[in-house]
Amino acid sequence: MRYLMLILEADTPVREPTPDIADWVAKHDASGARVMGERLRPAADVRRVQVRDGRTVVTDGPFSETKEVFGGFDVIEAADLDEALAIAAEHPGAHGASTIEVHPFWPTDGTAGATAWTPGGSAS
Amino acid sequence: MRSAAGRSPRAVTPPGVPSGPGDKAHPGERPTSASDVGTAVTEAFRAEWGRVLAAVARSTGDLDLAEECAQEAFATALRTWARDGVPQRPGAWLTTTARNHALDRLRRRRVEGAKVATAARLAERVDGVPGTDGTGVAGPDPVGAAVADALDEWPDAEGDEDLLRLVFACCHPALPLEGRVALTLRSLTGMTTAQVARAFLVPETTMAQRLTRAKRRIRSTGITFRVPPPELLRERVSAVLAVLYVLFTEGYDAWAEPAQHVAGCAERRALADDAVRCARLVARLLPDEPEARGLLALLLLQHARRDARLAAPPAAAPPAAATVPVSEPVLLEEQDRTLWRGDEIAEGLRVLDDALAERRPGPYQVQAAIAALHSSAPSAGETDWAEIVGLYDVLVTMTPSPVVLLNRAVAVAMLRGPDAGLEALGVVADAPELAAYHLLPATRADLLRRAGRPLEAATELRRALALVDREGDRRLLARRLAEVGAEPAEAPRGAS
Repeated sequence: MRYLMLILEADTPVREPTPDIADWVAKHDASGARVMGERLRPAADVRRVQVRDGRTVVTDGPFSETKEVFGGFDVIEAADLDEALAIAAEHPGAHGASTIEVHPFWPTDGTAGATAWTPGGSAS
Repeated sequence: MRSAAGRSPRAVTPPGVPSGPGDKAHPGERPTSASDVGTAVTEAFRAEWGRVLAAVARSTGDLDLAEECAQEAFATALRTWARDGVPQRPGAWLTTTARNHALDRLRRRRVEGAKVATAARLAERVDGVPGTDGTGVAGPDPVGAAVADALDEWPDAEGDEDLLRLVFACCHPALPLEGRVALTLRSLTGMTTAQVARAFLVPETTMAQRLTRAKRRIRSTGITFRVPPPELLRERVSAVLAVLYVLFTEGYDAWAEPAQHVAGCAERRALADDAVRCARLVARLLPDEPEARGLLALLLLQHARRDARLAAPPAAAPPAAATVPVSEPVLLEEQDRTLWRGDEIAEGLRVLDDALAERRPGPYQVQAAIAALHSSAPSAGETDWAEIVGLYDVLVTMTPSPVVLLNRAVAVAMLRGPDAGLEALGVVADAPELAAYHLLPATRADLLRRAGRPLEAATELRRALALVDREGDRRLLARRLAEVGAEPAEAPRGAS
């Protein structure tokens, strides 16, 4: 099953990968659990897009009141929720000032919807 | 109505099974046999429901499907056993039949490609049993007598392992707590949604929604039916035990409610029995976890006191106008200890000794040890309060919850007097967790009363009455307030 890990952290102008994050990435790349992941630029570079009445409205990020922003994300392939949570708990961000959200994917094998299910233990 | 206590008012029978020996499943057709079969199926339901459900849940990863197929298997048993006799190993027969039903349903859904893999996996398991042809329930008799004999070899351990996986999934911390408690109860006992709803005093639609949401979340978040990996085991065992304790408390609290005045009380009380059963099962499934036995011991020792938790108020209180004697809760110190159930206490003490021998203490073992000291004391006055305070000190280091500190203060008061108790209570005076908890002001009132400060006690009792949400405690508090008010007023002291 696939999970999106969103790393919620304080907004900073520069976001450099630390050695411990590099270790985490290397470990889960090697095991095949980490499908992909990226660092994201600071809130000032974020734009929101909405189309209303046929008009495209682009605004700055809604971050004036928000303390935490999405600093990065990873897509994880895990056997189940426990495994995904364990991988997230190993992320250095989970130990510091950040929070990690783990979002399960809808299955993408054509069985999406209310009846979608994943056979126990196997990857979808 | 204390004599009727103990017995569960709820007969758990599978759908379609006659509930009494006089009932006939198939009138006019071998009535005696049908009644025997009904009894056999009912017994199998009580003993095997959880395992049958667990086996299918594990194979399919789908608890909803597993429930349907397990129910179908019991219905099939009712028909088939009347014709072919009751198999020697009903549990193994039912598990195989339920798996066949699941296989059949999955095949019917085969158009949805993702399911083929699981169907194949199921077929493999079913084919592994000699005598089954793997074609599911295509024939009228999916498992013949020869198969039933072959299934005698079915290992018990496998059923237990599946059951444990089911328990861990139902108690997964990613599920909402209410859902965990209800789902665990339903999955382990086979109670219907309506029965679970009645026990928790919520409408059936509410309970159905709660169960459905929990089951859906198991699937959608990717909770699988497996025993957690070693690094998660301790935490997840705690989660399972916490669910069982919540379940027990739901039932045990009702033993301090005047049954004739509170709707659904008998059914709620039965939850305590159910929780003890579940705890017994979990303790057996987790032989390496002394805390599981600690919880079982705690539940047994507490439950053993249930008959003493309600009584008519002392004659000193003015008799109520109503003709029905109105009972109210009796605090531990004032209970008639001859009403405590000796056999259950003995079992609790045995289980606790067994757990403590592992020398891996935990909060449930410590709480059970406290309960054991109460159980062994002939009266409140002869209780080893010093030891109890010491155990609370240990408990505080393990779970520094305000409720533990509150109970510790009560023990301190018994050991060193009400003023020392009030001082100990000061630690939790402002705990936000207890802001709406009536037992905080109620405890303070009791200590103030014993310290000879009735005016302050009355203030605290009024505060407790404003918070209390239980009929039994409300009556006790109201009587206490009347008594305190009747006592001579405290000598004026400063500007209070």
